[in-house]
Amino acid sequence: MTRTSVAAALSALTLAVPTTNAIAATTASTAKSKVVVTTRRFLGSSVEADRWGPLQVAITVRKTTTTVGKKVTVKRRIVAVSVPVYPNHTDRSIFINQQALPYLKQEVLKAQSANVQLISGATDTSYAFVQSLQAAIVQARKA
Amino acid sequence: MATAIADPGARRVEQIMGMPILVDVRDDGVDDRALDAVFEWFRAVDATFSTYKPESEVSRLARGELRVGDASPYVQDVLARCEELREETDGYFDAYAGGSLDPSGLVKGWSVDHAAAMLGLAGFADFAVNAGGDVRLVGRARPASSWRVGIQHPLVRDRIAAVVEGDYLAVATSGAYARGNHVLDPHTRRPPTGILSVTITGPDLATADAYATAAFAMGSDRAPAWTATLPSGYEAMTILAADRVLTTSGFPRPEW
Repeated sequence: MTRTSVAAALSALTLAVPTTNAIAATTASTAKSKVVVTTRRFLGSSVEADRWGPLQVAITVRKTTTTVGKKVTVKRRIVAVSVPVYPNHTDRSIFINQQALPYLKQEVLKAQSANVQLISGATDTSYAFVQSLQAAIVQARKA
Repeated sequence: MATAIADPGARRVEQIMGMPILVDVRDDGVDDRALDAVFEWFRAVDATFSTYKPESEVSRLARGELRVGDASPYVQDVLARCEELREETDGYFDAYAGGSLDPSGLVKGWSVDHAAAMLGLAGFADFAVNAGGDVRLVGRARPASSWRVGIQHPLVRDRIAAVVEGDYLAVATSGAYARGNHVLDPHTRRPPTGILSVTITGPDLATADAYATAAFAMGSDRAPAWTATLPSGYEAMTILAADRVLTTSGFPRPEW
């Protein structure tokens, strides 16, 4: 029960105060068009990976805002994924993380080419990963 | 912060029933109270159906302290539907698969179906609900674009194996591990073999979820053939070991 409410509190916190570190912002202008590129980091909610402990995913999103006259076009792209908080408190979960996390990190960039709003699927550690990622995507879309 | 180009509407995530539940409403002028009501519903479902709460109706039923006839209408509704689905799936969907009553496999999708009905009655036309990977879509994500759901890759867990697109659609996936417990074949009480995941789409999430669980429990020998016999409106994508993917002809993929 306590574990659930802590996770809920963390979830609410990240929703209310998204971690948005402005890493870089560049602006380029010509006579009629303007391009603004910002790069920000979004934390997903901390999700309990069942018995293995908490897991949290952060994504770095590059947002390109192009203004031509009155027309504004926005493109967002995930440029990095990290797992700042991951379950690591038993031998078994260390093993699982060694096996799973390299995959989890290196492959999400490819998934980005599929522009989706929601994820269907459910598993242990990766289940938490997907749910935390879902929350981070929600944050990035709001910004 | 630039907000003019953010997605319209409102979205909220809360951790209930041991999973994050996302409600994403794209209509303009979303009243916070409408979202409050939906999450109150999910908390009430948890209090009634949880197998982890000793005082829940389901726990009292499992201990024999409550008779089905005396349970709330919602519980009777769910148990009746569990029994229908058990018969329809040759016993592969079974609320007693683990030995004692656990209707969680139906309750998740069923509660999302109810939440979608609540949002519809509140006057919303474009929204999505995702409860632990079980998704219900209504309307559109944007005026010019349908909702798109990524189906988690069963081996490379952060990748998407396929995309499903739809305006009014439920999407449920059953995989190698379900919420910390293996999905077992109720007949052998062993995990199925040769199968990595099953995704079912259709009009009703509770039913789609039960079909996905049943097909996964069948294993690679029976599942593909069985998914070809689903009722009208239901479609399946079965991912087998050795990277074989079998989809029914109407599976709503915009791309592969």
